[in-house]
Amino acid sequence: MIEEKRILYEHLDVPDINTFDVFRQYDGYTRFEKAIAEYQPEDIAKMVMDSGLKGRGGAGFSTGLKWSFVPRDIKPCYLCCNADESEPGTFSNRYVLEKNPHLLIEGILICCYAMGIETTYVYIRGEFTLGKKMLDAAIKEAYEKGYLGKDVRGTGLNIDIYTHPGAGAYICGEETGLIESLEGKRGQPRNKPPFPAVEGVFGKPTVVQNVETLCNLPFIVGNGVEWYTQMGPTYADTRANPPTPDPNTGTKLYCISGDVNEPGVYELELGLTSTELIEVAGGLRGEEVKAVIPGGSSAPILTHYELDTRLDFTSLTLAKSMLGSGGIIVMNETRNIVDCLLNIMKFYAHESCGQCTPCRWGTPWVRDIVQRIADGNGRKSTITRPKFGVAENGRWGDTGETEEIYEDLDLLESVANNIANVDTMTWNTICVFGIAVSWPAVSYMRKFRPEFEAAIREGKLVTLSVAEATVPPEENYAYQQRFVPKEFADL
Amino acid sequence: MSDELIQIETPFAFNEENQRAFDALIGRYPIKEAAMLPTLHLAQKQAGYITPAVMKYVAEQLEVSVMKVKDVVTFYPMFFEEPVGEYVIRVCHTLPCALRDCKVVLDHLKEKLGTDVASETNLAKGTTADSKFTLMKVECLASCDVAPVIMVNDDLYKNLTPEKVDEILDNL
Repeated sequence: MIEEKRILYEHLDVPDINTFDVFRQYDGYTRFEKAIAEYQPEDIAKMVMDSGLKGRGGAGFSTGLKWSFVPRDIKPCYLCCNADESEPGTFSNRYVLEKNPHLLIEGILICCYAMGIETTYVYIRGEFTLGKKMLDAAIKEAYEKGYLGKDVRGTGLNIDIYTHPGAGAYICGEETGLIESLEGKRGQPRNKPPFPAVEGVFGKPTVVQNVETLCNLPFIVGNGVEWYTQMGPTYADTRANPPTPDPNTGTKLYCISGDVNEPGVYELELGLTSTELIEVAGGLRGEEVKAVIPGGSSAPILTHYELDTRLDFTSLTLAKSMLGSGGIIVMNETRNIVDCLLNIMKFYAHESCGQCTPCRWGTPWVRDIVQRIADGNGRKSTITRPKFGVAENGRWGDTGETEEIYEDLDLLESVANNIANVDTMTWNTICVFGIAVSWPAVSYMRKFRPEFEAAIREGKLVTLSVAEATVPPEENYAYQQRFVPKEFADL
Repeated sequence: MSDELIQIETPFAFNEENQRAFDALIGRYPIKEAAMLPTLHLAQKQAGYITPAVMKYVAEQLEVSVMKVKDVVTFYPMFFEEPVGEYVIRVCHTLPCALRDCKVVLDHLKEKLGTDVASETNLAKGTTADSKFTLMKVECLASCDVAPVIMVNDDLYKNLTPEKVDEILDNL
């Protein structure tokens, strides 16, 4: 049995941990004090780079590398903390904001010190009223205690944190969408480059980090890089010669929901499998796992053949899926995949920001196709391939066999791949929302094709058994290309 | 947009408390326009919904055109351009909640309130005759571990069943 490794969530359930005094009892702000007393800003940036910390918001981009792109000579530089947690299946940031907001403030302070930042905006999604209230109260306390404001703790640093409420748009979780929204406009993502690190909010260099990423910083500084890198696997990227280390270090706040007995947030070292995670979350509610979404609703689905895929950034990328924000949704044998896809496509059709034509038109189109299939009006046709031979009447003639063509499934794949092509990983949209639409659409359809075909054939939703509904691994496009990477240590 | 084009029902201005909150807000950003979302939240809290007069007032305060405010208001689902009930009930219906039978909760609410579900362009459809409740479906509320969930104004209610919904409505 795998045990939880609580680091970020260690003191989450301590009563009144949201107040300064209690937080202080549990080493609160000592890591920040250590940072300013013992290290230069460049040392902190180097530690973050060496720790191998990858951004926890979704893209999994190296935090240290992101910081290295920020020009040091252009001031002011801003930090935007992304607390616009809207990815279906993800709910770990909410608990940090509501229960332990001082941890986030400490993370922000360390980031500000390392990058020479004076102003931080925490973009909180509009629905998090309690989270915003708790964070605002914590920020007020931190100002009173001299950890924020002018001349922080007599060091000469000036650091301000402001909360900024969103207003219910999913796309504002995309970093450039967030920046646009923060500037008081529609949250429509920008073309990149220039990347926010060079030209972000108000035209200045901007570091955009997720809440969970920032909450890792106090522990990296407090316990050291060596301690941090012991957690989680480090793979060898054998595409480079000599192989370069590909770290998946640290813990992840895995959010597990759907058909498990004890849904919730579990903090575990990166690199465990779906089967293990389901076990940690009190086991499956139901008889059999039909499918697992490994990283929020945008991530390509995993079939029951792929449950041994390790839930870390590298392994899931190799399995043609992604860890994303760590929102794991489990579905048991009673679930209909067509129905699930319909739900997700309704979400994306509603949340498309409308900036790029392929996404604005394509996403509702995909939704309508899935709706049509779910309603039992899926289109199919039969074609006969001509073949000369002895026909039934004993004469020479056409003996062609008829074949059923599921037009709507081809159309679904074609429309989705024209928003963003999942095979070539190229998108015809400004931001990666396009790929977040086509990834589920194409992967559900390819991996659970029998269930889609059955719905079209029977004219109604048919829930097949797990074995019948799933495309076998030898025909599964993603499974074929999958390989489990060797541990770097084994090399 | 010129003034003649805006039909102003009741002129709008921040009350004393909100004016103070607004003054604190505006100092946080290097440009005034950036205070758009928090300002609109404040205004909506005071006025109930974003009327043309509110938009005009906000535009004046932030020194931008009314069209720019309208642009933002129409983009974000949390801003209402029509009157809503005293209690806005948001029912999450995205996948994790759907897997935990949010439809039962939604159907129960529909039956109990005797109203349909509001759409973004027609809030009146989901508002009860006495203007007490507005029922709407929303996308993921980031509480999938305690699904199904609803939000009543600013409060989140978890692990719902029809019985719990009755209890919540009775206590409002």
